[in-house]
Amino acid sequence: MRLFSLLPSLSRWVRGAFAFGALALLTGCDYKFWRMDGPQSTIVVDGPVARSQLGVFYTTVAVTFVIFVLVSAVLAYATLKFKARDEADENAEPPEQSHGNPLIELGLIGVSVLALVIIAVPTLRGIWYTHDIPVEDKENAYVVEATGLQWWFRFTYPNEQIEGAGPLVTANELVIPAGRPVRINLRTTDVIHSFWVPKLAGKVDMIPNRGNFLWLQADEPGYFWGQCAEYCGDSHAVMRFRVIALGPREFNEWLEQQSSPARSVQAVADANDAPQAQFASWKTEWKRNEKGYTEEFDLAPLDSWRAKQFPEKNEDPALIAKGREVFRNKNCITCHQVRGHEGAGLTAPDLTHVGSRTTIAGGLLENNAEQLARWLTHPNEVKPGNKMWTGIGAMNGYASVDKYGTVTARHIELNSDDVVALVAYLQSLK
Amino acid sequence: MDATVKSSFIAEQPKAPAKPLVLWRPSAKTGLISWLTTVDHKRIGIMYGLFAIFFFLVGGIEALLIRLQLAVPNNDILTAHQYNTLFTMHGTTMIFLAVMPLGSAFFNFIMPLQIGARDVAFPRLNAFSLWTFVAGAIIVNIGWFLPEGAPDGGWFGYAPLTSKTFIPRHSIDFWVMGLQLLGVASIAAALNFIVTIINMRAPGLTMMRLPVFTWMTLITSFLIVLSFPAITIALVELMMDRQFGTNFFEVSNGGMPILWQHLFWIFGHPEVYILILPAMGIVSEILPTFARKPLFGYPIVVFSGACIGFLGFAVWSHHMFTTGMGTVATAAFSLATMAIAVPTGVKIFNWIGTIWGGHLKMRTPMMFALGFIWMFMIGGFSGVMHSAAPADAQQQDSYFVIAHFHYVLIGGSIFALLAAIHFWFPLMFGRKVSEFWGKLSFWAIFVGFNVTFFPMHFLGLNGMPRRTFTYDGNMGWNSANLIATVGAFILGVGIALYFAVVIYTFFKGEKTGRDPWDGRTLEWSIDTPPREYNFAVIPTVHARDAFWYEKHHQAEIAKEKAEHAQAEDAHGGIHMPFQSVWPLVASVGALIGGIAACYHNLAWSLVGLVILLAGIFLWALEGADGYHIHLDKDGNILDEDAHAKH
Repeated sequence: MRLFSLLPSLSRWVRGAFAFGALALLTGCDYKFWRMDGPQSTIVVDGPVARSQLGVFYTTVAVTFVIFVLVSAVLAYATLKFKARDEADENAEPPEQSHGNPLIELGLIGVSVLALVIIAVPTLRGIWYTHDIPVEDKENAYVVEATGLQWWFRFTYPNEQIEGAGPLVTANELVIPAGRPVRINLRTTDVIHSFWVPKLAGKVDMIPNRGNFLWLQADEPGYFWGQCAEYCGDSHAVMRFRVIALGPREFNEWLEQQSSPARSVQAVADANDAPQAQFASWKTEWKRNEKGYTEEFDLAPLDSWRAKQFPEKNEDPALIAKGREVFRNKNCITCHQVRGHEGAGLTAPDLTHVGSRTTIAGGLLENNAEQLARWLTHPNEVKPGNKMWTGIGAMNGYASVDKYGTVTARHIELNSDDVVALVAYLQSLK
Repeated sequence: MDATVKSSFIAEQPKAPAKPLVLWRPSAKTGLISWLTTVDHKRIGIMYGLFAIFFFLVGGIEALLIRLQLAVPNNDILTAHQYNTLFTMHGTTMIFLAVMPLGSAFFNFIMPLQIGARDVAFPRLNAFSLWTFVAGAIIVNIGWFLPEGAPDGGWFGYAPLTSKTFIPRHSIDFWVMGLQLLGVASIAAALNFIVTIINMRAPGLTMMRLPVFTWMTLITSFLIVLSFPAITIALVELMMDRQFGTNFFEVSNGGMPILWQHLFWIFGHPEVYILILPAMGIVSEILPTFARKPLFGYPIVVFSGACIGFLGFAVWSHHMFTTGMGTVATAAFSLATMAIAVPTGVKIFNWIGTIWGGHLKMRTPMMFALGFIWMFMIGGFSGVMHSAAPADAQQQDSYFVIAHFHYVLIGGSIFALLAAIHFWFPLMFGRKVSEFWGKLSFWAIFVGFNVTFFPMHFLGLNGMPRRTFTYDGNMGWNSANLIATVGAFILGVGIALYFAVVIYTFFKGEKTGRDPWDGRTLEWSIDTPPREYNFAVIPTVHARDAFWYEKHHQAEIAKEKAEHAQAEDAHGGIHMPFQSVWPLVASVGALIGGIAACYHNLAWSLVGLVILLAGIFLWALEGADGYHIHLDKDGNILDEDAHAKH
């Protein structure tokens, strides 16, 4: 980044200052931040691995808190007690020039070592427990593979082989069975990423040339937030994902549905349905980093996820067919796979069942028509430097950029009709 | 070395021999040339300090921009790339260009005075360290003014993100070359300090009488000498990968990105102690002075410092608990890291023991030193939490870690360095900072700091990862972030106030005489500001806290000093080194060559290399010449005779 490039954003800083003031009045929603019960909390957890890590953490907190209280009490007492009261006191004869007391010092060293032993024991136990699935549970474990890419996650299910298509592949939303240990093999195709679902387990890095893994388990069916925890380039902050834990039956249903090829919409479901929303009625101007989630979704995220598994109410087969054509003509197919349709690319997220996911753009935006349109029309603003924008290898994205990020050529231009059709098509891929 | 023994280098020659023009030695005592060519450790120390403070303020502004962006969720004041550049440069600047050189400033200025020396062992090498540091700082920051942009790979530049594939711009090359030069500067300076401390102590100043600050200088210097080679290797490998297509970190050809992490943190963890040990030394000087009694348990404080330095090399992988090292390695580094808490805790006990039973004079430096103990204690406790690897799996790379190391580095290092500026200001400039304004700035900094960084503990535990340019409003992070930003601006105001007061004091502050704090160590025994020759008579040390002893045995010391003065005068007077242009020239060569190497430009790299080598050659050729001065009884210089020694 060049220093002068900061100057044009001065006007934004002024705006920011206003937003700052306004928000100071409005941030009521999480004013009890010390409860630490957010969607990525490491304190309010939902699985045995995270619970074990939390237990170790509480041990350290307890031990250090006791020491802190003792030491700080002595320090505070000494400071107040031995403070010179006035000038006469300051200029009085200096106190006795004592040099220390080896017994006290050795005693304190002994006590410190003891305190550390209290921490060390659960630490060691925790290291072994959180490292790998306990032997007796290994039989029962479910295995998935998570691959980090700039800036999204690919999830592969090695046990779910699809005839002629290899293992089941999905993106950005990891669906796992609840109540069962899950081993996640961690891979990366580019730089180092880190896989972190705080409510289920601490992070483990995805490092090139290194077969890392972690294990986790969700106590109950639920919907969990995760994100990349190792700086991995421009859009690291918006490399997010979700984990959905399902009961055994629901999980198997999901596997079955995901294993099927992409859905083709043939007939109008119900003539009385309202017509599909159009581009003009969606928000089309977006600020950078503008929020892409809704409060309604957060109220019951798992229910929102379940609702996504069913076809949209007002599907328009003609529009969807047009969207499929746009998807092919605009070269989306070179990078994205839509199993059973034209899409055959492997470098970008698999979109075979993208309509059944709750988020798009690497867990960043809620999967609805408006946000889909936003992502399709403003990819570089949503996720700076992403490969859909810059292309990857010989495959063009929306634009070619030089090493400074300046656009040198445009390859994909979408008009509003294209966007509407694409949105309809992608939403139909349940 | 006994000052009464005639040194072998005082030659018989009455006159300097004629020298070719290239070996001309500047002799200006004032003006720009005098500063550029100085070899006086005090001037070099002051320049280190000024550069460090400049970069401290730059790093602070970078931090404020970061906090501004994070004040509210979904903010768009900065672009992703601007934000990533800012946090990279904030870390790089604060560590390499602010805290380290500020420590160096005091090593330079104070350490020779504490050991009763007239300069460091190699005065010209010292100048070279300074100017090479400046060259490195320029290269690290030059990207701000070029289309390449400033470095943006994070301050620990993990491979393979820093490879040409992922960051093709030269921004990373600036970072590599700049850090490389900073490493050269640090190693040269550290060797200089080691030689100085071991060889140039005043008579009677045994190692176990050494002031703790000097001890910590020594240990820090050893850490620098031993740890910087690791990052030098890592940076050379990265440079080779980027410039010449080697495959140290290139996975597709069998390279190992994890290798970078090991090399980096083998340097990086001792580096943490390079930043904190000087601070511990400073506090160990300030507390006894204002408590008016000796340091409690001096041998244990010294020994624990050495112990920390030693163990510091055995814990690097606790930065890598999440890299999948396996159970045994994780457990080993976990336990080693806990072990390091013992010598650290011991120091806190000893500091409390020092103030116990004292007559505490609550001056500003004392406030900062006590603030240091409190804040460092909190940072230390969160450090113990990280040492438990399973807990760290949740905290690593989250705001909890940000909170932890800012408590250690601001609450620790910076508080101590700010204390040191107030503490030694009267010695350096003969003026004292106003108590009212000093304490006001302390409270502003103390409050601002805690308001900024305490909420980050909560943010981290609530799952906020570091290095994120934006976050959504539904994660429960809004209030804590806003509070942190408000705190950052309070802290910024406090720092601004602090330096405004210091600058005012430099020009208009209350004048002080010698020894304004009733000091205990030798630096307080000389005139303020110190004369260029430091000590009219090299002192003889009879006890730990040498100056305190002098003050309580005045008759004995006066007699001894008179004898030594006579002896030294008889042997030619006080020997002073000549100034030299060549260290500066060599550093300019390094600067030119460094920038050219970033651009893979062979011709200009060679030009820089030639200038560098020519500078070093002529520096060797001109020799360690000097001159002698004679003093009157008030310490004024009577006459100088230019005097060449071999």
